[in-house]
Amino acid sequence: MNYRDALERMGGDEPFLEDLLDLYFKDFATKYFRIQKAIEQENFKLMEELGHGLKGASAVLSLGPLQKISFDLEMAGRERYLEKAKEIPLLLAHELQRLKEFLEKRSGQALEAQMGK
Amino acid sequence: MKVLIAEDDIISLKLLERNIKKWDYEAVSKRNGEEAWKAIRQDDLQLVILDWMMPEMNGIELCKKIRQEKKSKYIYIILLTSRDRQQDMIEGLSAGADDYMIKPVNLLELRARLQKGKRIIELEDSLLESHKRLTELASRDSLTNLWNRATILKFLEEELEQSSRANYPSSVIMVDIDYFKKINDTYGHCIGDIVLTKVASRLKKSVRIYDRVGRYGGDEMLIILPNCGSNEVGPIAERLCLSISKRKMKTSAGFLAVTITLGCASTESFSEPSVDGLIQASDKALYKGKNQGRNRVAVAKLPRILIKRQKNEQKTLFQNL
Repeated sequence: MNYRDALERMGGDEPFLEDLLDLYFKDFATKYFRIQKAIEQENFKLMEELGHGLKGASAVLSLGPLQKISFDLEMAGRERYLEKAKEIPLLLAHELQRLKEFLEKRSGQALEAQMGK
Repeated sequence: MKVLIAEDDIISLKLLERNIKKWDYEAVSKRNGEEAWKAIRQDDLQLVILDWMMPEMNGIELCKKIRQEKKSKYIYIILLTSRDRQQDMIEGLSAGADDYMIKPVNLLELRARLQKGKRIIELEDSLLESHKRLTELASRDSLTNLWNRATILKFLEEELEQSSRANYPSSVIMVDIDYFKKINDTYGHCIGDIVLTKVASRLKKSVRIYDRVGRYGGDEMLIILPNCGSNEVGPIAERLCLSISKRKMKTSAGFLAVTITLGCASTESFSEPSVDGLIQASDKALYKGKNQGRNRVAVAKLPRILIKRQKNEQKTLFQNL
């Protein structure tokens, strides 16, 4: 995640960025379930729509890798490429885990910095 | 000013909402195209931000629908999309969008583009207001502020169509100020103008709210009375006649006794009523009134066949009673 870039987009309002990240995680959980279902049912139109939606939300928060994987899902849906689509949920889950770790590490560092002061 | 945001992605929506409020606009948020369309139809929304990809109805379809609707006020549309190919931009603008931005949007740029939209809407509103004022001005007689000849005749034509469709009678009254030339010759045209203005004002106050009074020409005025038959128009005209004669008119040359003569005609006198037919009949009645000594009302006679029919209808009514 490009935290600085995202924070700049929020006008430097860190609590607001944190609120949006919370919202992103909640929305992701719903979307992830729907993506799995769409792939299972070979619903390419829905794959495309969900990929597009997740791509937009990821772009707003400067989540580059998640934006890229979402775009791949959108394209797999548009091109009816099921094999490619099947790889996506795992990649998304992995990248989300990385994001969580990054944010935890960041908040730990922020806390240490505060205590150091 | 209200700004409609139609965006299905909750993160983008929250970010847009927050900034739009910060920029002193009122944000109205919708999560799909159908909801946005309903809001546009119900609310007074002129500044709209649409996401291209939305469930139910996408931004392009919505743009086209807005432009087809032809609302009286202009709606300024900014289309947001992650599609950055030139042909996408052409498709968006051709569908009716005024502006086009690639996602994720640069908020400073969006603010500037909203300001541009607001300026265009304000300009359009002021042009519409001026147009309305000019149309009103062009429809009025500058001296009496009554409807002018062209407008009152247009109203009469519309009224005849309406009364024929809805099957009700309408009447007209042609009014002429008695000895108006003498007033002008004796007291001058300025006094003549005051008399004309006062007669117009008293007539306007004495008719029903939905009746229309116009200056037909010189000292002649025409009154249109919707839903008023040949039996009702006479008494109304008598009342108007009295509204002028009962009080002398105060002018700089002193109090003047002014009277009018009124000629009435109703659509009931015609199998196919026309503007020319009604004007001619009321004019004819007016001259009959003048010849009979002025300060009076004359009603155009119904053709015999209609009088016979009216009598028969009354007879049936009494028999039924």
